Amino acid sequence: MKTKKIKKWLEDFYLVIILLFLYAPIFTMMVLSFNNSKSRTQWGGFTVKWYGQMFESSSIMDALYYTLIIAFLSALIASIIGTVAAIGINRMKKLPRTITIGLNNIPMLNSEIVTGISLMLVFIAFGISLGFKTILLAHITFNIPYVVLNVMPKLKQTDYSAYEAAQDLGATPLQAFFKVVFPDIFPGILSGFLMAFTMSLDDFIITHFTRGAGINTLSTLIYSEVRRGIQPSMYALSTVIFITVLVLLLITNFAPENQTGIPASKAEAAMKKRRRNNNIRKGILALAAFTIVASVSFATYKKYASSHSNELYVYNWGEYIDPEVIELFEEETGIHVTYDMFETNEEMYPVIEAGAVQYDVVCPSDYMIQKMAENGLLAEINFDNIPNISNIDETFMEQSRSFDPQNRYSVPYTWGTVGILYNTKIIEERGLPVPTRWSDLWNPAYAGEILMQDSVRDAFMVALKSLGYSMNTVDETELTQARDLLIQQKPLVQAYVIDQVRDKMIGGEAAIGVIYSGEMLFIQEEVKNLGLDYSLEYVIPEEGTNLWLDSWVIPSNARNKENAEKWINFLCRPDIAKMNFDYITYSTPNKAAKALLDEDIQNNKAIFPDTDKLVNCEVFQYLGDEADTLYNELWKEVKSN
Amino acid sequence: MNSPKTKYLAFPYIVWMIGFTIIPLALIVYYGLTDKTGSFTLENVLSIATPEHVKALFLSLALSLASTVICLLLAYPLAMILRKKGVGAGSFIVFIFILPMWMNFLLRTLAWQTLLEKSGVINGILSALGLPGIAIINTPWAIILGMVYNFLPFMVLPIYNILMKIDDNTINAAKDLGANSLQTFLHIWLPLSVPGIISGITMVFVPALTTFVISNLLGGSKILLIGNVIEQEFTRGSNWHLGSGLSLVLMVFILISMALIAKYDKNGEGSTF
Amino acid sequence: MNQPLIDLVNISKSFDGDIVLDDLNLSVQENTFVTLLGPSGCGKTTTLRIIGGFERPDKGSVIFSGNDITKLPPNKRQLNTVFQKYALFPHMNIAENIAFGLKIKGKSKSYIQDKIKYALKLVNLDGFENRSIDSLSGGQQQRIAIARAIVNEPKLLLLDEPLGALDLKLRQDMQYELIRLKNELGITFIYVTHDQEEALTMSDTIVVMNQGYIQQMGSPEQIYNEPENAFVADFIGESNIVNGIMVRDELVEIFGAKFPCVDKGFGQNVPVDVVIRPEDIDLLQPGEGSLDGIVTHLIFKGVHYEMEVTTPDGFEWLVHSTDMFPVGQKVSIHVDPFDIQIMNKPESEDEEALGVNE
Repeated sequence: MKTKKIKKWLEDFYLVIILLFLYAPIFTMMVLSFNNSKSRTQWGGFTVKWYGQMFESSSIMDALYYTLIIAFLSALIASIIGTVAAIGINRMKKLPRTITIGLNNIPMLNSEIVTGISLMLVFIAFGISLGFKTILLAHITFNIPYVVLNVMPKLKQTDYSAYEAAQDLGATPLQAFFKVVFPDIFPGILSGFLMAFTMSLDDFIITHFTRGAGINTLSTLIYSEVRRGIQPSMYALSTVIFITVLVLLLITNFAPENQTGIPASKAEAAMKKRRRNNNIRKGILALAAFTIVASVSFATYKKYASSHSNELYVYNWGEYIDPEVIELFEEETGIHVTYDMFETNEEMYPVIEAGAVQYDVVCPSDYMIQKMAENGLLAEINFDNIPNISNIDETFMEQSRSFDPQNRYSVPYTWGTVGILYNTKIIEERGLPVPTRWSDLWNPAYAGEILMQDSVRDAFMVALKSLGYSMNTVDETELTQARDLLIQQKPLVQAYVIDQVRDKMIGGEAAIGVIYSGEMLFIQEEVKNLGLDYSLEYVIPEEGTNLWLDSWVIPSNARNKENAEKWINFLCRPDIAKMNFDYITYSTPNKAAKALLDEDIQNNKAIFPDTDKLVNCEVFQYLGDEADTLYNELWKEVKSN
Repeated sequence: MNSPKTKYLAFPYIVWMIGFTIIPLALIVYYGLTDKTGSFTLENVLSIATPEHVKALFLSLALSLASTVICLLLAYPLAMILRKKGVGAGSFIVFIFILPMWMNFLLRTLAWQTLLEKSGVINGILSALGLPGIAIINTPWAIILGMVYNFLPFMVLPIYNILMKIDDNTINAAKDLGANSLQTFLHIWLPLSVPGIISGITMVFVPALTTFVISNLLGGSKILLIGNVIEQEFTRGSNWHLGSGLSLVLMVFILISMALIAKYDKNGEGSTF
Repeated sequence: MNQPLIDLVNISKSFDGDIVLDDLNLSVQENTFVTLLGPSGCGKTTTLRIIGGFERPDKGSVIFSGNDITKLPPNKRQLNTVFQKYALFPHMNIAENIAFGLKIKGKSKSYIQDKIKYALKLVNLDGFENRSIDSLSGGQQQRIAIARAIVNEPKLLLLDEPLGALDLKLRQDMQYELIRLKNELGITFIYVTHDQEEALTMSDTIVVMNQGYIQQMGSPEQIYNEPENAFVADFIGESNIVNGIMVRDELVEIFGAKFPCVDKGFGQNVPVDVVIRPEDIDLLQPGEGSLDGIVTHLIFKGVHYEMEVTTPDGFEWLVHSTDMFPVGQKVSIHVDPFDIQIMNKPESEDEEALGVNE
């Protein structure tokens, strides 16, 4: 008896440990949803403000709507096609059946990235423009197999004589199916539906490749935010979803049940109860899912009810504009904006190149603008329509010429430098000199304390600059040297990251990191708000650095070019540029807007460095396909080392 | 449904599969076997043999194998316990394992960063207890943890389902015939749950082999897996031909998985739900 | 008497607070065929599972050949079970199924081969060694399950409704088969069923159970002819159970009519239950018997006619007779004194359930 108790205790303990493992990240998300600080790594006090913001954020609500509607529709359609197909497959001869089932398994077993990309290739090849319907098609495609696999076993168990009996009693084959077979296989269909719904909800990669303009699911929205940090409203939304589903589960699990009759045997009765319970629960969950979809769609119905003749498709970095600016633009011009986000230049490029989505205005970086222009993807801007161009500091028009020689294609939006961010306290404790040069990133004393940028050009820029070379070099020996230097540095590096330098540095995770200057204002304010006992300082290395520009361009296949120009002109207005600066904190090239800023911000050297500090700085240039490949090869060698 | 015409009900799905499974794959094959000028080449496929690709592939194989084994070792006893508790509350417990999947997996994986970091939650708790901290973030161990975390339900559910189908009396019969717990496990539980185990293994191994998100988020991007290589070829390197060629190599492993499933799980008994 | 092979002493068992067995005592002698008979939920299967070691009693002990095996796990007990739905191992062929117990015990290959052959022959399935389980009919599967159990040469074989899933004809064949096996092997059988006919056909001893109590234990004849309470009488065969008053020794009054009987010692004018089997009622011409009535129902059953006779008090007597009386015919009921079974009325429901344990 005693050993039995110990055994049971051990089993329960094991169960608790596993559940803890599964739910620890979810609890973490829940805690973060109440964190007053936007930083993932620091606790800034309790707040519920993100819950309010979540409902106000149209991007989150839209993404939620699309996520649910796509999950629901794709699961529903997949359930229908899958069930019908399963019935057919069940009646096939052995060989065709084995082949069909084998094919059916492909989307489930294939790596998601291959599925996603191959579907994208097909949509482009067939001229289906990427958008809501392509995501839906893709989701249906990977959902059907789950339905088929859940329905097949139930079909095998179905008693055909009952089906025949129904026909004998006068039912048509269809009636007989719905009255007799359907109830038998229904639990399988429900399981399949639920599984499909879950898979669709959780999918990121396939959606990422098959989505088009103006459509985000929660996954893709989150991914586009990864670069600049997740909005805490996302955690709030996840918490709400989690609590809702959990409550539904609890209600259905503990709903009273009336037991009838004396059970034949304990186990059998419990089994029956369990099965019934299971079906009820699945049913209710499916229903709950539907209710959520229905209510959200009703709420957003108004928004989509009216169609827009006057449109503008904007493609911008994630979290790279004040949402109010978009609203103001729509109000003032009556143009409806479809706003979309990308994470990297390289991710944006093929989208524009393929032309599957026709954007009117895009905001790439310097070298990418050059590449797009050279490949004929950009339209010349009619500057007559952009009188506000005069607000842009001439220095930046000058800088632009390094990638847009005649200032024909681009209008600067933001700019900045790349530098070293360091934690004063850790530096002091270790008795290390304040970093002033890129080569300090090779100081073994910093082992495990360095955060490097996880992108080819930025990483090579650091190495090339510390070697005294141009960051736009295509010389193979110089690049090989840079590669060796990076490999040599790798053991010292804690992680290669993009967005997370900011959060990790605020959290005191690392002593020193390579960062974009635009993050500085946020970092400095956050350090102050959180009352941290260290400060984070920014330095532009002596060897010079990357001076970067993100500018607005108009793709050559834009359908609303004039609207795009109105958009650019609007963003060049000093008050609007200031609004944007306040929101995204990346340095503005707009001198009129800068003049509107507080004095101490104008004098903040991290954001607006003195021009004499920028002597050795360069702007990235497009180096051609061959050089691109070489860079990528060398970077891969660094990473795999 | 008894009529021979019933089999044509599968027709719409077959058309669907041709359109959205076979043609897309054919395109991948086409890209994988051609270069940028469109002429035939094996270079893309053979590039798997370059040192950095071989290294990435072997690391991927090692990590996904390790996480598959860990998943199996965690999931089997778990499924056994769940089966035991199953009578009465089974489906509720199963839903508890599916529920995390309703939270976005990017967010969940990011949350692990917060938990594992040097000054993260776990180390905070450990140091409060006076214990030494753990430093697995940005190492292969963190990637394995992330894989186990994300794919464990795919191992638990098929095994649980197959175990639920085993009659108590089959187990009792073995004990009755003199088998002790270990013998019962080896001769009855294990062979009877093979379809579930195989299904679980493929459901964990394949996505683990091809993941790039987990290694990016938890490996600090210091560890290059084959999934990362392919992803970068498609999204950053813009070399779809190379990416497709490498995908073709990965498909070999997927074909092996399919063959395994076809062999051991003929009736789809090991399906996840 | 010899030492019993198995002895259940004061066994109690409950599931989630429901008492399934309450202070049960049962002894089984070696080389007998004992049947536990009762309706669903009477505790018969639980009793069997306690003997088999699959359940542990809350109280009491299980003595096997003089040794307390209450806490012994099933794999260490010298007995085997044949399960209700056979519980064959689906991933093994027939030979592997039968060999399972022997392999576990580490018997030699040749010994196992011989045993498989022998066992298959015993259950009339020679040459089935390499067939798969799926290819067998229910009856064949059942015989394999028996073969799998008996190759281990258990002293005691437990059978849990082994014929429940078979059709009538097959069930009857298997009944004879089981009796034959028992006689050939000299093993003690404990057999659980809810089918009284099965119990009557095969058993040396029948144990009638209800609500966790043993109602009556005895030979099939005793159980049938001398049910000790209304439950047993009602459960075993068909019977007319009526309220009566024991006027004095050897005379009982039913619905005002006096019937001579052979029972004594109930006292005078004591209310009793009277059990009369339908085949023990003779129908005579009106006035010739003890109680008059009218035939209200008639069915031809092959070996006999089944009739219902309604007496003026409204009671419908079930009568089996080879003589036919048409519906509407007035008749009179006669019962021979030795065919009347008198039972004390239970004073409470508990006592009714307790039956002969008192």
